[in-house]
Amino acid sequence: MTASGSRLALPLAALFIAFFVAPLAVLLVLSLHSDVTMKTWTIANYAKFFTDSFNYSILIDTLLLGVKATLVCLVFGYPIAWLCARASARWQSVLLFLVILPILTSVVVRTFAWIVILGRQGVLNQIALGLGLVDEPVRLLYTETGVVMVLAQVQMPLMVLPILTVLSKMDPNLADASRVLGAGEWRTFRKVTLPLSLPGIIAGCILTYSASITAFVTQSLIGGARLIYMPLHIYQQAVGANNWPFAAAISIIFMIAVIAVVAVLSGLARASETYGRS
Amino acid sequence: MTSRIQRSGLSRRTLVKGAAASTLALAAPSLSPSLSWGQSKTLVAATFPGTWSEADRQIILPAFKQLIGASVTQSIVLGTDQVSRLVAAKGNKPPFDVAFFDAPQVIDAVRDGLISEYPVAQSPNFKELLPGAQDKWGPKITMQVIGIGYNPNKIKSPPTSWEDLWDPKYKGRVGLTALNSQLGIAFIAELNRIKGGTDDNFDPAFKALRELLPNVGAIGANLGAFATLWQQEQVDIAPYNFNFIQTLKAKDVPVEFAIPSTGPVGWSTSLHVVAGAAEPELAVQYIDLHLAAAIQEQMLKPPFDVIPTNAKVKLEGAITKSLAKSQDDLAKIRTLDWAKLNPQRGALIDRFNREIKV
Repeated sequence: MTASGSRLALPLAALFIAFFVAPLAVLLVLSLHSDVTMKTWTIANYAKFFTDSFNYSILIDTLLLGVKATLVCLVFGYPIAWLCARASARWQSVLLFLVILPILTSVVVRTFAWIVILGRQGVLNQIALGLGLVDEPVRLLYTETGVVMVLAQVQMPLMVLPILTVLSKMDPNLADASRVLGAGEWRTFRKVTLPLSLPGIIAGCILTYSASITAFVTQSLIGGARLIYMPLHIYQQAVGANNWPFAAAISIIFMIAVIAVVAVLSGLARASETYGRS
Repeated sequence: MTSRIQRSGLSRRTLVKGAAASTLALAAPSLSPSLSWGQSKTLVAATFPGTWSEADRQIILPAFKQLIGASVTQSIVLGTDQVSRLVAAKGNKPPFDVAFFDAPQVIDAVRDGLISEYPVAQSPNFKELLPGAQDKWGPKITMQVIGIGYNPNKIKSPPTSWEDLWDPKYKGRVGLTALNSQLGIAFIAELNRIKGGTDDNFDPAFKALRELLPNVGAIGANLGAFATLWQQEQVDIAPYNFNFIQTLKAKDVPVEFAIPSTGPVGWSTSLHVVAGAAEPELAVQYIDLHLAAAIQEQMLKPPFDVIPTNAKVKLEGAITKSLAKSQDDLAKIRTLDWAKLNPQRGALIDRFNREIKV
């Protein structure tokens, strides 16, 4: 980067330091104290987290929830992105609009709409009952299945858009070449399209994953109080139990866990970018 | 002046506009009621989600605007959250001027110096309150009572006791709320009392809770989510707050209130001037308005059915049907010992979460 280029980044850097790095530092310092007066340093909050299975089971549940929601997003999102990339210009804009539509309403509104869809009297259960698929309403609200379904829908644009970007930049000649050389549709997809779209897939996974595991509103409204994930746990410790240092400690632990997952995915992304060049 | 400008979020441009509007208003008095941009005084008042934020918005806010000429920004937050925010802001400008507390938060707020003593002399309606409501830290404006909420379409004979929740016929149909709400903590405390526990020993309550879990279909993480459970008929029977039931009934949600044989349990709800409030005088005027007989009479009407504390207000409506015929009956409603319960709140929340986690 040139000197003038880095100077352009200064305002953003200042903003980051003031409103992101500084509060994070406060959080870190607070987590290393026994109470809010911050007189004695201690690692007791971290010890408490890792010596109690209740706490780390919540962390594991949360990280797994992210994996499930991300996989569902990928399975449904990839075909949508693929269709989008291949559609005519007009259809592409229609499809794109449909993909972005969920972001245009507030997450609270969307989540409440899902309560209406998933409830005992909800649309899904009414259809299933009407078709005779079930005799009795299925419990979807306040189950992890429900949370994964809603998260997948809510975060879908974050998966589709990066994949779509990569797919539309892909040289169509590559697929043609593959076919000319005798590969079928499926083989072309597996050997050419899919590997080349990996950077998009990984970017989509990183975005969906980090958004899903931190989605406090969706997790607590659809999951209820019995499915405790990290955001609700942090909230309850900070506000309900008024134990800020512990809340700060679990926030830091959660953040490190998320960064670790994202780092692994980013590493994969870098490796995948060199695919076919070596 | 600067602080007040920043406070109400006014930029210089809107102020100029406002000044122009006031000049216009002076020139043409007949136009003035609709031109309120010039108004720079704004009170920030905390209120609870649900019944109270709606009653305040519909009854108090217009009356306050008319009588005092200032506007009110509502900060809709639960009592425990209000305490957290005031603690966080200690030493700086508090995030709101008027605090809206349930009985337990008053104890914590007084201990931590978050509220100032209520200036009784400046509040003409204060002396009209029932003696029990005249608290020096801030007047009690109502009482909240919990009992058993049930769906009359599904449950034909009204429940008569808390024990009904354990009835196997309600498998998967019972609702609960997390303990961060007053409803949740009051229920667990009452359950503990019925099951023979003491304020130092909650084992009986948690043993009963464990036995209740097979019946529990949903535990709401917050009160907003809990209301939708009734609307979606996700639960048929649950401990619930008298006022929330009235509000839901007014929205045609099938829900009724029953008082268990062990009697209703309640707590007072009060208003307080926050220590270091930016608008202390407005705060007192706002609180005093809540005490006026005419206002409490309006709040007593459906869909709010807010229990009055002004001695001049006669009970009527839903309250007299299920809760109390007179103010004397209200005084008999059992309360909980918050001074003993408060220090345990964190531990209770933690224990509850461990018990219910799937």
